Amino acid sequence: MIEIKNLTKTFKDKISVNQLSLIIHPGVVTGFLGPNGAGKSTTMKMILGLTNPSEGSVTIDGQSYKDLKQPISKVGALINGDAVNPKLTAKQHLELIAAASGIPEKQTEKMLIETGLENVKHKQVNTFSLGMKQRLGIATALLGNPETVILDEPFNGLDVDGIHWLRELTKKLAQNGKAVLISSHLMSEMQMIADRMIILAQGNLIADMTVAELAETSLGAYVKVRCENNEELISLLTEKGADIKQNKNKELHVHHLEMKQIGLLAKEKNLALYELTKVQPSLEELFVELTEGKMDYVSTGTTPVEGRELK
Amino acid sequence: MKNVIQAEHKKIFFLRFSRVYLLFTIGISLVAGFIFSVTTHVTQGRAITDLSVLEVVSANMLGIDLASILLIIFTGLSISREFTAETIYSSLTVCPDRKKFFMGKYITFFFLSIVLSVLLIALIYLSSQVILMMNNMDAANLANADIRQFVLGIMVMPVFYCLLTVAATIFFKSSGGGIAFSIIVIAFPALINMFSDTVQKVLLPIMPQSAIHSLSGTAAEGSFEALGTFTSIGLLLLWLVITSLIAIISFQKRDF
Repeated sequence: MIEIKNLTKTFKDKISVNQLSLIIHPGVVTGFLGPNGAGKSTTMKMILGLTNPSEGSVTIDGQSYKDLKQPISKVGALINGDAVNPKLTAKQHLELIAAASGIPEKQTEKMLIETGLENVKHKQVNTFSLGMKQRLGIATALLGNPETVILDEPFNGLDVDGIHWLRELTKKLAQNGKAVLISSHLMSEMQMIADRMIILAQGNLIADMTVAELAETSLGAYVKVRCENNEELISLLTEKGADIKQNKNKELHVHHLEMKQIGLLAKEKNLALYELTKVQPSLEELFVELTEGKMDYVSTGTTPVEGRELK
Repeated sequence: MKNVIQAEHKKIFFLRFSRVYLLFTIGISLVAGFIFSVTTHVTQGRAITDLSVLEVVSANMLGIDLASILLIIFTGLSISREFTAETIYSSLTVCPDRKKFFMGKYITFFFLSIVLSVLLIALIYLSSQVILMMNNMDAANLANADIRQFVLGIMVMPVFYCLLTVAATIFFKSSGGGIAFSIIVIAFPALINMFSDTVQKVLLPIMPQSAIHSLSGTAAEGSFEALGTFTSIGLLLLWLVITSLIAIISFQKRDF
């Protein structure tokens, strides 16, 4: 289990991570989300001892990463898929990591097969696509059969097959009791694989909960209602504390009231309902809602921004 | 530590560039030494047959100077790859103890430079014998104290500058910084020689070149370079310890 306590990192005058406290649980895939510059990579690097915290601490089973006897059997990480000597072959890269950790060489063969790199193991990394480099990075992370796996943007460059494979792999790792921490900008993927979400913005912890819990707290969640008499229903629901908006199609978007309550109230007044649907925001919508106004880098040009439509 | 050294060894020898470069270093240094010793009539204005056996060996051993410079370049390029290719991420994830990581590199390059130095000196010594034989001169004999001191003293040079480059490259995080630092340390005594005796008296005895010249017996007696054996060894160790400490401290504080 990784425990982060009051973790802070300041670069000159900029606070990259601010008093972050959280626990990465075993058996769970944890999504690590945040806009660019939110502090995700810095946090991951501080877990691995690559970046020194300004304040606070990170412990892995009660020890700092630097004090672990065989660190890669505790935490395996992919921080940058490109961070491989391009003149080495995939096998050589894994062999030297194995040598440095005292891991038997046969484990490298196993990882090459598991990550689908068996056929290219003797090719130099400079001939690899970004997706293949990501696979090699994941093979490196899993080489020591670690208890915790940290993957920073692992979906980058992966093809459809690679994405499916990684999706299954992360689920399998969690099922085997490993803690999995993944950062990604692909919200749809995160929604599919992560059991829990940690959202950072400008170095601060914005949310640490399951997707369902996130949706519950979201302003984007509402109940869509179509009724024979909107005016009467609006007045009835408003009395019960609902916040209601009506669109052009005469649909009511009811916030702060459960679907069941709306149905029962309508029944009491003998109002016929044509539709009663719970609308859950997507993770992307939740993310935009939670990080609104908390981004360090916002596009202002005419180029479409990922996850948003131009108005 | 053994694992780290094994990994560092693989990092060097997995690369074709390293194997070719080190063979090239041996070959070109051997050739350069040979050329230096058979062209003394041009470079020193004296025919080879007018030189003593030690002088012929000494001219041939100039190949070691070239080998030292080539080894400095090799060391700088090899170590800086950790930073330019960002392989430092995986290296430090596997070995987060940065002092241990530094020492692993240091020991690996120590052994590499020792092997290279011994091998090259043996080859150059053999080539000197061939040159002496070709010119009907007496063979060089290690029983001769001067020749023995020269050969053993000169052996220190590639090892010392290689280790200096390890520390400097890690400190500067670049091959440019590491190589430039060691080359400046080599060249600085030539610059000092342009200044007055007062300046030379202060600066020359603390330069590694003086220690190496003293160990090899090439420092003229009574010159500012002349140091005792223990002082020379101590001075070289002091240089290595200070540069390593600075490199380790800065490396430990650095964020990646």
